[in-house]
Order: sequence, then structure tokens, then C-alpha cells
Amino acid sequence: MSEIVKADGIAQPILTVSALKKTYKDGTVALRGVDFTVKAGEIVGIIGSSGAGKSTLMRCINRLIEPSDGYVYFDGIDVTKSNKHQLRYVRRQMGMIFQSFNLIARSTVLGNVLNGRLGYMDSVRGALGIFSKQDIEDAMSILERVGLVNQAHKRADELSGGQQQRVGIARALAQKPKLILADEPIASLDPVTSENIMDYIYRICKEDGITCLINLHQVEFAKRYADRIIGIRAGRRVFEGRAQDLAQDVVQEIYA
Amino acid sequence: MSVDLAKKEMPIGQPEPSGVEQHRNRTNDRYLLWIALFSIIFFIFALQQLDFDYGRLISGTRELPLMAVKMFPPNFSEWEDVLRSVAETFQMTWAATLLSVVVAFVLSFFCAANTAPSRWMFWFLRGFAALMRAIPVLVWAIIFVAALGLGPLPGVLALAIHSLGMMIKVFSDSIEEVDQRVLEAMRAAGAGWLQMIVRGVLPLVYTSFMSWALLRFDIDLRYATVLGMVGAGGIGWQLIRSMHMYELHDALFIVMVMFAMLYTVEMMSNFIKKRMINANGL
Amino acid sequence: MSYERCDDMRWKKFLLILVLVAITVWSMAGIDFSIKEIVSGMGEVIRFITVDMIPPDISSLFDLMQPLLDTIYMSLVAVVVAAVISFVLAYLASSITTPHPILQIAARGVASILRTIPDMVWVLLLVPAYGLGTLAGTMALLIAGVGLLTRSFAEALDEVDKGQLEAVKATGASWLQTMSRAVLPQFLPQFVSWSLFGLDTNVRSSTMIGMVGAGGLGFAIQSGIKLFQFEEVTMAILMTVVLFIGIEMITTKLRRRII
Repeated sequence: MSEIVKADGIAQPILTVSALKKTYKDGTVALRGVDFTVKAGEIVGIIGSSGAGKSTLMRCINRLIEPSDGYVYFDGIDVTKSNKHQLRYVRRQMGMIFQSFNLIARSTVLGNVLNGRLGYMDSVRGALGIFSKQDIEDAMSILERVGLVNQAHKRADELSGGQQQRVGIARALAQKPKLILADEPIASLDPVTSENIMDYIYRICKEDGITCLINLHQVEFAKRYADRIIGIRAGRRVFEGRAQDLAQDVVQEIYA
Repeated sequence: MSVDLAKKEMPIGQPEPSGVEQHRNRTNDRYLLWIALFSIIFFIFALQQLDFDYGRLISGTRELPLMAVKMFPPNFSEWEDVLRSVAETFQMTWAATLLSVVVAFVLSFFCAANTAPSRWMFWFLRGFAALMRAIPVLVWAIIFVAALGLGPLPGVLALAIHSLGMMIKVFSDSIEEVDQRVLEAMRAAGAGWLQMIVRGVLPLVYTSFMSWALLRFDIDLRYATVLGMVGAGGIGWQLIRSMHMYELHDALFIVMVMFAMLYTVEMMSNFIKKRMINANGL
Repeated sequence: MSYERCDDMRWKKFLLILVLVAITVWSMAGIDFSIKEIVSGMGEVIRFITVDMIPPDISSLFDLMQPLLDTIYMSLVAVVVAAVISFVLAYLASSITTPHPILQIAARGVASILRTIPDMVWVLLLVPAYGLGTLAGTMALLIAGVGLLTRSFAEALDEVDKGQLEAVKATGASWLQTMSRAVLPQFLPQFVSWSLFGLDTNVRSSTMIGMVGAGGLGFAIQSGIKLFQFEEVTMAILMTVVLFIGIEMITTKLRRRII
């Protein structure tokens, strides 16, 4: 741990979420006003039971879901007010990792990683899949980093779950992101693989100085890997603090 | 908090997909490529063989919107004739579907593997049914018109023959799905063939027969609208007549009526199908 | 209470049967249809088939080869062009990929009109513009094919995995990029499979539409009947049946391989 810079040393807030609300069309209220800030280089774990609004929160940050009210500031940009063009610019700086990996099943591993470059490319060139030599080289070195360089030309659905999630991480890394949004990255994996994936995410974020927001169902993982923990219950923030401050009764309150 | 990063070098948590599956995936993609390549080559070849008059294609395509404009407004004044032929189309469909359902209902018990009295009858009826549905309705219609002259009768018979071919197959297939043990139990109880059919099989296949009959009514109505074009009665006859006399306003009205009729029946049969699926809990 | 409901059910059933019988009587009367007519009609038909149509004229095989090939060519050309057009329309018609809801409604509406009007009717409407022959036939198959394939393609697009779509969107990809990189790989096998089904349907239709002047085997059958060459007609019918079975076997085999 000692060689890795602790998050507390960096003071710049990179992400500010303020009074964020989301009500779905069917009347379900997912978020009832959530506020928090994330400093650059920090790993923040978001915990809460399923249905607490964790996934909605994450998708409101990169506007895969349109928030109903409130603000998201990312690196000095008001994401909630961004137009189409600005939104592309914001999204490409936020890598996203999904619970069910969400790889393009019939594309190759390399193709999936290269998709991370789309936000930087001309629309037509990207659609036709004409990637620059530099992009391909970068993608290969990222694959090497996650130990999948030998699988680069395999179809994504031929890999095991853990391998697929590593491709998911590689895709996010290909974006050269400032922030990684990981939505339940280990919920579909067995315990051993889960630990392995969390190690990858942790190491990569710390080495590259990437800020990371992770939704986690399991408190244990959050305590081990996150610099700071935010507890969400019924669309509200009910806890914020360091892992060691997360007492048992607080956990119980979050999951009640 | 401490994480020992050197602890493990990438253990794989989940088993790799089997080699067979990988192989399958890859051959699938290769097939896709071959089919695409082959169709492009064959497309060019076919286009060359058909040797279209491209001048006509262009001038014809230019003419189409003009014709569409010329068709407007539809001429409603012949509505009585049109309505009468709609009724005729419906009557033909009803008669043909009913006829084929009744005949197939009887015959299907003789050619379902579990109820057929003899092997010979099984193969004969099944083969006959296959032939009846392999020959298109309009080909049947044209033969029947040649044999019987113009009018609704050859149309009804043509429709009935074609749908008989399908109904025999689907009816006997549903009979074959009946649990074999039910039949064995009845046979053991000393039931005769007819008793076995009426008391054992019929209650089980009743709903599936009904839904097939409804589905077929929809298909038959579609065919019935065009049968008239080869002289076999119904609304198709009205349309071909008005087109031959180039009475485009009449033709548009007939096409509109046809569309309304087919669309309504399709909606209805979709509705019924959905209800049946719900009722059967499938 | 339960007795009353049972009574009610029975009453409804009785009414339903009454309506069905009434419709049947009305239909039979309307088209002068009776068991006697059926029996005598079928007798005449069987006589016609056994005496006039059998044996098939095998020597006409060679003459019928060109109509047979025309049928295949028309079907293929029509399905390829229809697949390309439907591809675009289906992207508009699917709720997942549509750029605007109004475009979606428009595309669905057009497809349903094209599909509901029978292809025989399309031929009739197109013959004045394109003349008798394979051109009108191909265009009619094309139009009906666009109706069929647009709906099928749109349904396939509706079932695209939304997670994969979301993941590509989240990288900052544009609409075009998302469509091509996330949707297309999932859609492609369905696209080929439905197009093969369309080819099968076209071959069946094309023999029918030939009868109203669109060339191919249907036209050969129609003109054979008009010229009283019934044995040649039988040969053409046999070839039609063989063609149907052959095409169906090939397309189902290929479709099974793809998916």
C-alpha cells in the first residue's frame, strides 16, 4: 500500500453531484436528492441494497438516464446541461464497467476494446470500424495489461465471465478516462474471480490516477477496496465516511 | 486496508466455454460470410439473366406516382357491387375452411401415428396431404376453373383442397402429442377405437383444433381475395375487371376495401391467438 | 348462484352455435353451395385431372427451364433489394433504434400497408407502369418483401440486448457508431436468416403472381391452360412443387446453421 498515493493527498474535486433527483415515467422515485463530491484519484464505494437507486445514480452521472432534477459537475462541466456534443466529450472521459459485462458478444475481444475509442473518433470512421494504428497498438497494450493479449482475436462470448469483465475494464481503459464508473462489476462473478477483478480495478485506478466510483452490493468488498464509502437507501444518502467508520449498526441501517 | 496484489496471477474463476461451442460460433460466422458473398454474386448473375429494360424501369417508376394521383379520388358509387363481392369472398372462405376442417377432422384420426388403424392408411393420407398443400392455391384454382368453369365453386374447392392439406397435417400432429398413457389406459379398460377417439383424444385436442381452424380462416381469406383474379369468384374478380378496363377510381376503392378487410381479420386473429396463448398458459 | 352461472354459460354456448350455423347457411346459400355440388364438382375435377392432365409431358421440361430459372432470379433479386431497403426502414421502425417516434410510426405504417395488400394486387397495380413480364413481377415481390422484412427485422431489433447498446453509448459513441458497433453485430444473423425466409416466400409467391402476367412458372401454367396443353401444365406444376421443396430445404438448413 505504501507506494501508492493515498487519495487524501489530492484535494481537487473532479465530480460534484448535487440534489440529484430521478423519477421514472411510471412514477417510481429512484433518487430523492443525492449530494456528494469525489476528489481526483479517489476510489469511492457506493453501497446499498438492490433497488436503493445505486444504478440509477451511476447512469445519471453519464446521462444514460436523464436525471429529473439536480446537477452533476464533472471536471468543471455541467453534465446535466450539456448538449449532444459536450455529452460525447464528457462520456468519453468516463469509462463504464457493467454488472453483466455488456460486451458485444459477436465481436472480437480487440473490437470490444477498440469501441472505447469511438468517442474520440469521427462518427463515420467509427461506425465503419476504421481505427488508427495507434489506437490498435494502445488497445493491444491494454489487453496485455489485463492479461488477455492472447485472446485478442477470439469472439467475446467465448471467454469466461472473469475474462469478459477484464475486457470490460480494458474497454473502459481504452477511453483514457479520468473517471471510471463501475456498476456492480462483480455481482455476476464467483468469489475468487470477484476478488481478482477488484484487484485489477484497484491497481489500475491507483497506478493511472483514475478516479473511481464503484457500486457494490457487498459491504466487505467496499471496506477493503474503497477509500471512502457512501451508503444509499431509498434514493437518499444515509452514510458518508471512511471504511473504518462504517460501524455494524450503520450497515444495518443502510440495508434495513 | 491492504491488498496484496502479487498474491495471485489471474486464476480463472469460471470454466472456459467448451471447444465445441467455440468451433460452432466461428463456423456460424463463416457461414454468414459465405451466404452474403454467394448472394451478392448470384444477385448480379440473376440481374444479368433477367435482362431488365432499365429504361422501362425508370419511366415506369416515374409513372407510378402519376398513376397513384390518377387513382384519386376512389369511386364509391359501385359500393353495392363491391360489398356483394366482399360478402362472396367471406362466404367462400367460410365454406372452404369449414369443409376442410370437417373433412380433416375425420381423416386426421386415420393418419396420426398413435391412432391410425393401419400403416398403409397413415402413409397414404399423409402423402396425399403433403401433395395438396405443396401445390399453390392459385394453381388449384386455375385447374378447377378449367374443369368447372368460372364462378365461386372452383374457388371454394381450390381453397378447401389446399387448406385440407394443411389441416390434416396439423390436426394429426396435435393428436400425436396426446399422452400415450391415456390411450393405453383406455385400451386396457377395453375401449373400442371409436370410444378411445371420442372419450380419450377429442377432449385433449379440441382447443388446438379450434385455434388451427381460426388461423387457417385468416390464411384462406387472404387467398380468397386474390382467387378472383384467375376467375374463381370473390373481390379479386372485381379488381382485375376494373384494372383491365383501366377504371382506376374503382380499383382504388376495391383495394381500400380489400385492405380494410384483411387488416381487420389479421387484427382479430392476432387478438384471438393472444387470448388462446394466455388461456393455455403457454 | 353457481347453478345460474352454469345456466348462463350454456345459454352463451347455444347462442354461439346458433350464430355459427346461421353464418354457414348464409354462406352456402350465397354461393349456391351444396353437398351435391361438391360431389359432382369433385367428380368432374378428378375426371379432368386423370384424363386431361396425366401423364405429364416430360418433353416440355426443357422449354420450362427458362420460366423456372426466371422464377428463381426474380425471387432472389427482389429479396436482396428488399432486404437492403427493409434494413433502413427497420432501424426507423424499431423502438430501440429509431431516431424519432414519428419516424417509427411512419415506417411501421408503411410496412403494414405493403404487407397487408396481397402481392397479386401489387402486380395488377404495377403492370400498367412496367408492362407484362418479369420486371413487374420483381417489383411486386420487392414491395411485398419490404413489408414482410421490415416487420421481421424491426422485431429482431426490438430484441437486441440493451446492455450492449448502453455500454457502447457510455463510451461517448454517436448514434451512428452505436448502431453500427453495438446493434449490427447482434442483428446480422437475424438479418440473413429472415432474408432467407423472404427468399422462400418469394419463390412461392412468384409462381402465383406469374398467373396475372408477371413471368416465371406461374405464367407458363396460365398460358398452358389457355392453350389447352394440360399435360405440359402438369409438368410445370410438378416442377413448381420440386422447386418449393428444394428451396425450402436449402433455406431451412442454412437458417439453422446461422442461429
